[in-house]
Amino acid sequence: MDKSSKQPRTPAWLAWFIGRLGYGLLTAWVISLVVFIATQALPSDPARVILGPDAPLESILTLQRQLGLDRPILQQYLGWLGHAVRGELGVSLDSNAPVASILFTRFGYTLALLAGVIALVVPLALLLGVGLALRRDSRLDRVGLSWLIFLKATPGFLLAIGLVLLFSMPHMDVLPAVSLIDPDRSLWRQLQYLVLPVLALSLSALPYLTRMVRASMIEALESDYVIAARLRGIAEWRIVWRHTLPNALVPAIQGVALTLRTLIGGALLAEVIFSYPGIGTSLNSAIQMRDLPMIQAIVLLITLGVVLINLCADLLTVLLTPKLRTARRVTLIQRNRRGIQPWWRRSTPKAP
Amino acid sequence: MNQDFSRRVFLGNSLAVGGGLLLGSSLLSGCDSAADTPSELSSTPVRGGRLRVGIIDGDQSGNLDAHKPVGGGIIRGWALYSKFWEWNSDVSTRLALAEFAEPNADASAWTIRIKPGLEFHHGKTIGADDMLFSLLRLTDPKLASPFAGLVGAIDRTALRKLDERTIEIRFKQGQSFFPLDETLISFGGIVPTDYHPISNPVGAGPYKLKSFIPGQRSLYSRFEHYYKPNQPYADELEIIEFKDQVSRSAALRAGQIDVASGVQAEHSALLKADSRLQLCVSPSTSFTGFNLNLAKAPFQDVRVRQAFRLLADRQELVNRGLNGFGRIANDLYSPHDPTYNHAIAQRPHDLEQARSLLRQAGQDDLRVELTTTPGPGVNAALVFAQQAKLAGVQIKVTQVDGSLFNGPQRENWLLSPGSTPARGFLASALHNDAPQAIYNRSNFHDPRFSALYQQALAQPDVAQRKVLVHEAQGIQHERGGLLIWGFNDVLDAASTRVGGLVPEQTTFASWRFDELWLNHG
Amino acid sequence: MRDLSATRWHWLAHTQTRNGVVITLLVIALALCGPWLAPHGPTDMLGTVYGAPTAGAWLGYDFLGHDVLSRLLNGGRSVLWMSVAAAAIALLVGSTLGLLAGFSRRRLDQLITWLADVSLAFPDLILVLLIVSMLGRAPWLIVLTVAIAFTPGVIRLARGSAVAVAGQEFVEAAQMMGYSRWRILFREILPNILTPLLVHFGNMLTWGVGMLSGLSFLGYGVAPPTADWGLMINENQAGLLVQPWAVLAPAVLIGIFAYGTNILAEGIGRSSSRIGEKP
Repeated sequence: MDKSSKQPRTPAWLAWFIGRLGYGLLTAWVISLVVFIATQALPSDPARVILGPDAPLESILTLQRQLGLDRPILQQYLGWLGHAVRGELGVSLDSNAPVASILFTRFGYTLALLAGVIALVVPLALLLGVGLALRRDSRLDRVGLSWLIFLKATPGFLLAIGLVLLFSMPHMDVLPAVSLIDPDRSLWRQLQYLVLPVLALSLSALPYLTRMVRASMIEALESDYVIAARLRGIAEWRIVWRHTLPNALVPAIQGVALTLRTLIGGALLAEVIFSYPGIGTSLNSAIQMRDLPMIQAIVLLITLGVVLINLCADLLTVLLTPKLRTARRVTLIQRNRRGIQPWWRRSTPKAP
Repeated sequence: MNQDFSRRVFLGNSLAVGGGLLLGSSLLSGCDSAADTPSELSSTPVRGGRLRVGIIDGDQSGNLDAHKPVGGGIIRGWALYSKFWEWNSDVSTRLALAEFAEPNADASAWTIRIKPGLEFHHGKTIGADDMLFSLLRLTDPKLASPFAGLVGAIDRTALRKLDERTIEIRFKQGQSFFPLDETLISFGGIVPTDYHPISNPVGAGPYKLKSFIPGQRSLYSRFEHYYKPNQPYADELEIIEFKDQVSRSAALRAGQIDVASGVQAEHSALLKADSRLQLCVSPSTSFTGFNLNLAKAPFQDVRVRQAFRLLADRQELVNRGLNGFGRIANDLYSPHDPTYNHAIAQRPHDLEQARSLLRQAGQDDLRVELTTTPGPGVNAALVFAQQAKLAGVQIKVTQVDGSLFNGPQRENWLLSPGSTPARGFLASALHNDAPQAIYNRSNFHDPRFSALYQQALAQPDVAQRKVLVHEAQGIQHERGGLLIWGFNDVLDAASTRVGGLVPEQTTFASWRFDELWLNHG
Repeated sequence: MRDLSATRWHWLAHTQTRNGVVITLLVIALALCGPWLAPHGPTDMLGTVYGAPTAGAWLGYDFLGHDVLSRLLNGGRSVLWMSVAAAAIALLVGSTLGLLAGFSRRRLDQLITWLADVSLAFPDLILVLLIVSMLGRAPWLIVLTVAIAFTPGVIRLARGSAVAVAGQEFVEAAQMMGYSRWRILFREILPNILTPLLVHFGNMLTWGVGMLSGLSFLGYGVAPPTADWGLMINENQAGLLVQPWAVLAPAVLIGIFAYGTNILAEGIGRSSSRIGEKP
């Protein structure tokens, strides 16, 4: 017994977590650099886009000077980075308003959308997944699986267009096809604008999560300790609720993380189709207008968001898995194959 | 007025009020509504309400600058700012803020005097200092307004204040410049000396600003001391920005906006079929066409230019490219202008002649590249490419984005689309092939044409100018670089509650915020 | 219990795989042979804009008066070749790099996986959008970009499988017999990881179709006047209520193709009887 056990020891998972945090920030920085260089390599320049077709050359040059577009690339990047770290994300080339304030509202709207989707999809997936797993191979299961496959295969934007056709056309004008959110009123009073986009995104996110829950539930139901419990005569419902369900849910955390990451990309299409004023439409506009500060800020935001999601999911998994939580050494957590799998060893591919 | 406007109430009201109205029906088309019963035409303006206008500004957020508007800022300028003149429905100008605005005998100086007792939104009286400030701001090289080029002839150092309400404008190097009204009107909003586009966007327009969210919407309230008595009618104006036509049409049909400005022809059928909406078709004289670059082969050869102009099936271009909403053109602009040469015969669609001209020029198997920007112009380009095939010419349509199209290359594209809003001959030439055009994509530099144009600039008298312009247009028709195939109609859609929406030959029917009103129900 | 369900899954898998094969082949046949079956050329302007279906034009006319049926029959090729090419490139490059990473020294392994991670940290549609919007719309560029977006996933998969297989006895035996690394990779390891790679290829086809048609829908895909299913949806959406066939027909075909490849991939995956590995 070594005497060092008397001293308070920081749990291994904390050290691992900090390591991962640093890694994530590094990733975000690299991506911001790549995007910066890429946007600078554009064959066209923002000054012309802003001033339009009739602008004489002097106007263009003046605007370029005013926007600082004629300085060397490295200098521009360092300047931007310096400001970004302090939280100043620059001024939008397009609307002359500070990027941070524009993004604040828009990001809020996108978060509302994502939150709505998660709030709808997670309980539904859990319900369906567990339900289908318990009735495995029955007719209900097969029909359910077929529908899920159909939803998974259909590209997201087609689902959105289909929903618009169903609910927003003259003969059945139930839900608004366009999310005309009034910024003066609180979002809570205008929830009807969220219904169709949330529904569209939920339908494309549902299949993956449901099937993952179903699969892990099936696997848990077939594990040895469940067989042993059955043999001992423990009631089925008890087995399901108290023994298998919690274990089956831990991998679902990773599933939710993956779903969120994919949703960010899918949200772009949904926002464009419904004209929802979120980050996706901002990015689309910023690309069209060559609004460099906006593009860089949004990309940075998205990357940080993804890093955060991964971190939280991994942290949660570690904390919920006793074996990993009490691990003594960081490498144990890294090498462990069940429960949490480190980023680079996860074999689940990205779903659309 | 409750903005959240239930559809049930809306439907009920529109049944009571009925169809659109027609004022000044000397024009060809009118505002159509699908309502079968020709119910009472409400031609009396009604005060009150919030008029909600939906505009498309694409992806730009835009601004409120009077002299350097971008994106939706141009339309917003019609709410916030007034100018010395305003447009008549036949593209001529009439006095607005000014009570006197005339050139001297050879148009080398203009004297402008404004009406007495006019105010800005914040109460300051409009005086000569403000007038000078506005002009200087528009032409300020530090502001770098893209529209300064149109009035580039103005000599900034020679602007003179004659008295408290009068100024004199002279031009550089003693030049003459007759079309000052048409060029200054567009972006010459009169603003006070303490104007600032972000912190103090004050003007003398029908509405004053209440709030502005770039890229989304802006809200205005009525300016009680507008120079036209009893106008504007609506208490409030809201301009809402949309990214694309489809979502805006949906919003209009759902009653979320009252007016949709500049509807694309493809949506017209749907909108016409809706009995709660009226479609206003303005037969404007803005043209759509192609620029043939005279500086490059093969368009240096006048026979090739003729051939291209002959192989264009103009009626089909109007039918397919504009969905039938337009009229064919004769490679000449400004048909509404009193100096237009109506004697020049309409160029026919003649494939045989085109092929033979190409053969003579030794261009039997011609391949050219048509460069365009993504957007509505692509359709016409595709149609034209298909037509050219019949004459043995292969046209490849390439799309480049807007900033590249208008970049340093902009006068180098071999074949590119061109369009100009409805303006008189002299002002339109400044957009196209005048010697001092702000950009000349066809690189047309004909010495005789330039000489005629310079003389026309100095000729305020219509009859004498007519002679010059007739000859100039003859030259354009014969050997110019513009293939103008059609004039496009401007489509505006509005709910049947909106009154005052009248078709014009300009493109501004739905921008006249001081003339529109909302019928209550 | 496990055996019983295994046989059941096999049965289902076979039907599913069969269905998937049939559907996918049908769509491929339509796309490949379509141009010969089309009554008119894809760029011929014959009818009125958004004209209703007639005897001569079963699906009506589109936004410029082209025959929708002809454009439909011509429009599958670009979606098809581009998604197949993108998936194939991703598979080739990704599996090579992944195998290399799984079977190499730590340094190389770490470098490759780090690169894969960085690309994966970013939602792929946005990545593709950024690149394509900046560099232009050449088809090969679009294919390359989509392939780049898919490659990291393949790298991870190949690497993971390679690592799993590498520890097995026959590989050790090969190493002891002195075979070169490349030979071991391609002759010993690759055949054993073929199944998950094939399943992933099927998935990439599905995602590829979705992403490419989504790109065309946003206006960043192939340029007109090429007939392309995604582009048709983009071009004709203004007339959705007047002439829905111009949008519905290509949308349905895209959906069917994605569905077919998906079922196929699932069928292959399931028939290798690994329940729970790929949900």
